[in-house]
Amino acid sequence: MSDEQLIREITAGNDAAFKTLMERYQQQVFRTVMGFVHTKEDAEDITQEIFIRVYQSLNTFQGESELSTWLYRITLNMSLNFLRSNRKKRMLQSLEALFTLRSEEKTPLEELESAERDRRIRQAIDSLPERQRMAFILSRYEELPQKKIAAVMNRSEGAVEQLLQRAKENLQKKLSSTIGK
Amino acid sequence: MHTEHPIDELIRREKETEPNPFLVTRVMAKIEGAKKMRSRAPLWQTITLAAGIAAVAFLGVSIGNSYVENGTAEVALNINDRQIENLGYYNLGDNE
Repeated sequence: MSDEQLIREITAGNDAAFKTLMERYQQQVFRTVMGFVHTKEDAEDITQEIFIRVYQSLNTFQGESELSTWLYRITLNMSLNFLRSNRKKRMLQSLEALFTLRSEEKTPLEELESAERDRRIRQAIDSLPERQRMAFILSRYEELPQKKIAAVMNRSEGAVEQLLQRAKENLQKKLSSTIGK
Repeated sequence: MHTEHPIDELIRREKETEPNPFLVTRVMAKIEGAKKMRSRAPLWQTITLAAGIAAVAFLGVSIGNSYVENGTAEVALNINDRQIENLGYYNLGDNE
């Protein structure tokens, strides 16, 4: 069943069609949210909220863009809103993560170093300016082509290329002192 | 770029994270729940309830405003404590 048919079915009140739509797009949404929040629990909660929002506002979908593009836009907006309203909680979570990771392959010191490195990388990604971060996540987590990213972000392909280049440079700058040795 | 590899490694791990297999069921249950809530209280019931509360509040305010104090003269009760229990009585000097 095509996306258009699914939307028609859902707006006609067929909930099974919405289930199909969710099964089709939940990985895409979840992966993108993971790029922003980095924790499974938060990503699941936001994914849930996103699909509830999609269900409630599907009748406003004009069909001018692809459904996946529309979904990406909602995902980006809701992820950023979540981050804005949960800054303190997230700081504590990132510190907590340092002490909760366990692996049998590594020594405790290696484990701590690796967790610290991950924390710094996440922090560097999170500190990118919003537009750079959006482009970076869509490009690296979703492996979307620049054309699609441009459609999602309502920007030209050239602008997206520039955003990605700047994001790369910024990450290099922020991380070269800690992991680039 | 030296920093690429650790970033790629972290992204690969995060991308491999799978959502809860019951996520779809959870969302469907939430949607169903919201639908039931909406159908349980139809619009006319909500409006009637709101109108009832507003009417009671209005009645209360009206009754409160309609109360007028009577213009009767105030009665002041003056009691001379010294009359009731004359302290001078206990004053030894007076009884001598």
